[in-house]
Amino acid sequence: MPAVSIVTARFEELAKTTAYKKGMPRQRITFAPHPVTDRTAEIARQYLAGSDPISKQPMLQQIYEGLAKPLIDEERQAGFLDREARPRLLPPDTPTNLERMFHDSQWTDGMAIVLPTEERVAEMLQGTSRRPDEVVGIMRPSPPHEAWEYTVEMVAVNAVMAGARPEYLPTILAIASTGTTSLISSTSSFARMVVVNGPERNEIGMNAGIGALGPFNHANATIGRAWTLISKNLGGSGRPGETYLGSQGNALSYNNLCIPEAEEGLPEGWQPLHVQKGFKAEESTISILSGWSLNNIAWYSPLPQQEVIMNWLSHFFSFGTTRATLLLDPVVAADMKSAGFASKQAFAAWLGQNSTTPAWLYWSTHEAELKKAQQGVEPYASYLKRGEGAEIPVSRYASPPAQGGTGIASTNSATPIEIVVVGGGTNTFWSGGDFTYVASASIDRWK
Amino acid sequence: MNGYWLMVRAVTLALCALVALPAGAAETPITVLNPRGIQPPIRLVPMAARPASLDGKTIYIVDTKYPRTKPFVEELQQGLAAKYPRTNWVIKEKVGSYFDDDPKLWADAKVNAAGAIVLIGH
Repeated sequence: MPAVSIVTARFEELAKTTAYKKGMPRQRITFAPHPVTDRTAEIARQYLAGSDPISKQPMLQQIYEGLAKPLIDEERQAGFLDREARPRLLPPDTPTNLERMFHDSQWTDGMAIVLPTEERVAEMLQGTSRRPDEVVGIMRPSPPHEAWEYTVEMVAVNAVMAGARPEYLPTILAIASTGTTSLISSTSSFARMVVVNGPERNEIGMNAGIGALGPFNHANATIGRAWTLISKNLGGSGRPGETYLGSQGNALSYNNLCIPEAEEGLPEGWQPLHVQKGFKAEESTISILSGWSLNNIAWYSPLPQQEVIMNWLSHFFSFGTTRATLLLDPVVAADMKSAGFASKQAFAAWLGQNSTTPAWLYWSTHEAELKKAQQGVEPYASYLKRGEGAEIPVSRYASPPAQGGTGIASTNSATPIEIVVVGGGTNTFWSGGDFTYVASASIDRWK
Repeated sequence: MNGYWLMVRAVTLALCALVALPAGAAETPITVLNPRGIQPPIRLVPMAARPASLDGKTIYIVDTKYPRTKPFVEELQQGLAAKYPRTNWVIKEKVGSYFDDDPKLWADAKVNAAGAIVLIGH
């Protein structure tokens, strides 16, 4: 049926390229001034009385004509559009010129790369028994976008570029096999986290100890970086304005918080993350989590640590307000065990039961409850009487999230609060953020 | 001894500077692999024929419910109704958030509307 779309002008490139990729390159789009969200009726009226800022045509007239104006020949066309050719080898050039071309083509993260010569890629492929032409998966910037397909060799090419060693390739292939981009197209500037579990962590020399989240370990650094390059080059992601719209971007995207869990530092009874997700302890896996931000909590308090964490959960606020991931130093994990929490799950459940919600946040996310409160329905009426500055005794982390991820995990057991133990035990500090579990994948099957 | 080697190094660097070539010019060309994945084919979708006139017809204004855009949607409906009063401009809310598909609404539109305006954030 005849249709026109209205998109704000800030998304001109996204709208036009999306229409092209969906097979309707001449889709009739009217652009409105940006933004229209959070604008009054008066401002909306002014926008609509004016012109499309891109075409300079009167908006309402353009919308009407988009529905009524007869089609031209190009709009009736069927068939296929040409795509960019994909030769396996690029034309020969000097290393300097090639590296410049890789940067200019937005195939890098802006930092120096290792050029993927045939020799280096062949050496990288020694890290897996899989055939180079075997398809690993498909990946897209977010659900509305097209998916790109990639092989083992293509993943190896990007692993070389990231500076990875052949022994890291199975871990990188496992990440790629989830089909999860590290560069989601959303305007909200997502971040991703990848946690490595099992014997592979130590076999490839990852660092779960002092400075695990910092720039101190080759495997942590390059495996995480490879995911960003794979997302850009194999997942069609990360082209600002077209497939990446994160307004401020996210510094965590450089290496996607690539860490191994400090399994050796887990208190007795606390399972590693991959065991929580249904894998055996002797299996090696990657687990992907998705969020936006991470707080590093380096603070001494007269309160017991579990109460500090509980209070942080109550007041931490970002885009995602109902999911959290805690990165506990082994010292903190041991303290929590001593405080009586026999497992990660027990601690997470206690936090879910005892954390609260600031009143302003509760009412701004619970419209139905606000109406009930205003009608005198309990307990909401009593909550409302407490005032805007009060804490409502309802946890944001009480309900399990919807099934997330791509179905790669052997069991998807996402919980509102995930706990990973990592760090060198130099202090009783920890980190927390709004990350939620997405998927896990076996490393062993890519060896 | 140290002075001697420093002098040799300085002379060597000076000679190198004298014969310096543009960046990359002295390098041997190499061949590298393409880092990009496989893009899917794009099948063209012919656009729907437009009616000769919208007079007497119903057009759905599909509100995808991006947060806090309702005033714009309502003003759009009122503006179109004032400028083109012989067309029936009807706001239809799509189910769920702007992430969710709404096949029932699309089926409804095909039967009961002559066209649709779809608003997409932000």
